[in-house]
Amino acid sequence: MSGNDRSRKFVELIGSATFEEAFQRKVRQRRWGVALVTLGISLLGLWLMFDIVGARGWTPLEVAETGLFGLLFATLSFGFTQAFLGFLVLAEGHEPLKITNTLDEETPLASTGIVMPVYNEDAETVFGNIRALYESLRERGELDSYDFYILSDSTDPAKAVEEELAWSDVCRQTSGFGKIHYRRRKLPVNRKSGNVADFCRRWGHRHRYMVVLDADSVMTGKAVSSLVRLMERNPRAGIIQTMPRLAKAETLFGRIQQFASRLYSPIFAAGLNFWQQGAGNYWGHNAIIRVSPFLSSCGLPGLPGKEPLGGRVLSHDFVEAALMRNAGWEVWFAHDLEGSYEGMPPNLTEYVKRDRRWCQGNLQHMWLLLAQNIRPISRIHLVQGILAYGSAPLLTLFLLLGALQAGLDRLYEKLGMFPAASAAVLFLMTLALLFGPKVLSLLHLFSRPKELAAFGGPVRVLLSAILETLFSIFTAPVLVWFHTRFVLRNIAGKTVTWHTQTRDGGAGPSWYDVVREYWPLTMAGVGLSAAAWWIAPSYLAWISPILLGLVLAIPIAKLSGGVGLFRKLFLTPEELRPPKELCVRYHLQLRDGDQFVHALLDPFYNAVHAALQRPRESSTLAVNSYATSLGARLFKEGAEALTPQQKRALLADGQTLAWLHNLIWKTPAVRLHPSWASALAQYRSSKRGARPQSVSVPISVVGASET
Amino acid sequence: MAISPEYLGPLRVGIRSSPEWTEAWDRINDYLDALKAPDSVDRDLILLSSFERAIARKRREPFTPATELAFEETQKALDHALRHLVDRSVPEDRRLVEQRVRLYLTENVDGSLLGRTEELSEEVLQALREVKLQAAPNLQVASITPRPLELSSPGKGVVNLARWLSPIGANSIIGWVIGLAILGLLVFASLYR
Repeated sequence: MSGNDRSRKFVELIGSATFEEAFQRKVRQRRWGVALVTLGISLLGLWLMFDIVGARGWTPLEVAETGLFGLLFATLSFGFTQAFLGFLVLAEGHEPLKITNTLDEETPLASTGIVMPVYNEDAETVFGNIRALYESLRERGELDSYDFYILSDSTDPAKAVEEELAWSDVCRQTSGFGKIHYRRRKLPVNRKSGNVADFCRRWGHRHRYMVVLDADSVMTGKAVSSLVRLMERNPRAGIIQTMPRLAKAETLFGRIQQFASRLYSPIFAAGLNFWQQGAGNYWGHNAIIRVSPFLSSCGLPGLPGKEPLGGRVLSHDFVEAALMRNAGWEVWFAHDLEGSYEGMPPNLTEYVKRDRRWCQGNLQHMWLLLAQNIRPISRIHLVQGILAYGSAPLLTLFLLLGALQAGLDRLYEKLGMFPAASAAVLFLMTLALLFGPKVLSLLHLFSRPKELAAFGGPVRVLLSAILETLFSIFTAPVLVWFHTRFVLRNIAGKTVTWHTQTRDGGAGPSWYDVVREYWPLTMAGVGLSAAAWWIAPSYLAWISPILLGLVLAIPIAKLSGGVGLFRKLFLTPEELRPPKELCVRYHLQLRDGDQFVHALLDPFYNAVHAALQRPRESSTLAVNSYATSLGARLFKEGAEALTPQQKRALLADGQTLAWLHNLIWKTPAVRLHPSWASALAQYRSSKRGARPQSVSVPISVVGASET
Repeated sequence: MAISPEYLGPLRVGIRSSPEWTEAWDRINDYLDALKAPDSVDRDLILLSSFERAIARKRREPFTPATELAFEETQKALDHALRHLVDRSVPEDRRLVEQRVRLYLTENVDGSLLGRTEELSEEVLQALREVKLQAAPNLQVASITPRPLELSSPGKGVVNLARWLSPIGANSIIGWVIGLAILGLLVFASLYR
């Protein structure tokens, strides 16, 4: 039977009486298979470790070390098993049990909200990505089924003004009034999850589905409509997650990650779908959610204790998937659905900073493991998320215990031989588990000449893969260092603060900032190298890949933010031939300087902002007089007189802003605070041309906004 | 309506002869530039009428700055020119804002609307009057209620243990001492193979 025949048969089986039973049996078989293979590999590794360590008798340090080895090796085995099964699935060319088999382009669409929560993001990126999807759906003639919501939690007053202008500008250019909506919360309660929950409370009954996007998410209209159709075809699906591909990277770090993800993730994704099936996970974006069960079942619980490990749930996605599963809904992974993309941090420092937040969020999930009624597969997802960061301190401890034992042996001159055959086999096994998935991915790609050509050809792919592997070897110790720090700080009830901030994502942090953040790693690398040399030169050679990563942390971190390096390597099909949604560049022309100031001075900025605020009648007298007093102070003491919080309060009062606008413009320069006088002077030098002369919009469509 | 340059010229010369009025003239021109008002007869008309009235007011209100008078009169002139674009029910303090919104929305449609409102068809005017800049749709409220975390019996035990241990973990000195003590114990026990 060909793959297509089997696929057809699978679709026909859906809904039949025997299907559910057969499906469940098949899924159970698969899960047992994955568990047994993982267990088999882990036990073999553990047995070899026993043979090596036990040959000279056991010490308590070695017992602890072996215990940690067992845990870490099992994690590694599970990842390898998943990749290997994924490789087999893709090599076979047909997977009967995947959600995309049920896709039918004739299925009617349903009302869907495209939801993008943002927090002090770059307005051009946010609205550019929304516009790309909007245009894509319009070209497909499917716009009627969709509404777009930019859900802002931005606290920076200037960002808030930028967002409003970008919203009105995009709506103006696309005739999107009444279709593209913008809402900014005054208080960002519960961060992103609270933002989405607020959307559900306000407009939850407006749509059957919501597609959740991140600020850097790009999706094609086809992908979004496919998700809606898949939902319609699978009435038990509560969430369908896509596999977003990394795209639009410009820096070396970003392009390496982009290449690695594009090359290696297909086999992992196929393997993941192989065993999880309808018990999948949600990653927080580039996914579709059925709103009704989300409303009834996915309200996030409070966690015991206080932040960082307790309090409000930070990483909401895994929890929402678990709650959705608890309520009896399926969560699917449409891993082979094309047209789903996301961005990524531009350099190592930004990547680590993102991990700092994710680490805290994932560690909170420990409480969910102690909860009742969480399904076993959801627990596995939660454990995987915790171990994504929790394995770093375990690995550090494993290395530390090994080094201490080796140091003791050196001190007592007991450095002895160990069974060479077992050691060699274990070494090779570890290498196979670590690098096997990369080799399998390359084999998969090389078996598909067209895809290989889309990556730039065999030579470039091989060279890129070798360099990527070297880069990942060098960066892994840096990540382990920081993850260990994050986990330990979180367990101690503290969060990690970061000294530096990358102002320019493209250029990356300066040498000064990099040295300031990474010098402890270099010092530790040098110190540990000296200690390892003292134990035995062969021991130093053994752990040199780890120590080298620490020693070279500063240049690697700096290099990671470089633009223009290795441009002919690390190519991906999306970089060579990007889909048009990835090519959309939206340029919002703004006046130079603080946009909060221009919200007061520019007649258009001021009018757009003031018109969007609720009328004063809805506010209390105290609020009104507070806003007026802020306005008076701002006028008297200049643009920098207010704190960001006060500026936000003032921005919420359209009437005061309009009053201030008139007051500043009509006051002679001698009576104005110097900051206002100099801000007004900009309006003389920037005479005209500060705003884009963008596409023409017929007047008839301008008033399309709902009333 | 055409304006004679002969009329505007002397006004400009007169204004330039006084620093106070020069500032007012520049300020109003900057404002009209910010409004994207094109260099046209209509702009001149707004300037002319505004400054005429402002100069007249200055005689009655000598202590009011010329910039203030000129700006207020310009606002009135703009209001007069754009009054057709806004519904009459809009309160006066909001009307100027709404007029600027309409100028912004139609900014790219065949140049500025300033001075051209009389050329617009009634249908277009009506559409403009009905415009309401609304960023978000009307509410269709739903509820999403958080459910409490129901811990299992072992889970409750762990939570109690965590509560008991948290003062120790929160103190970094105690945490380091305990961690190093465990490690030291392991090392000590491993001294002799």
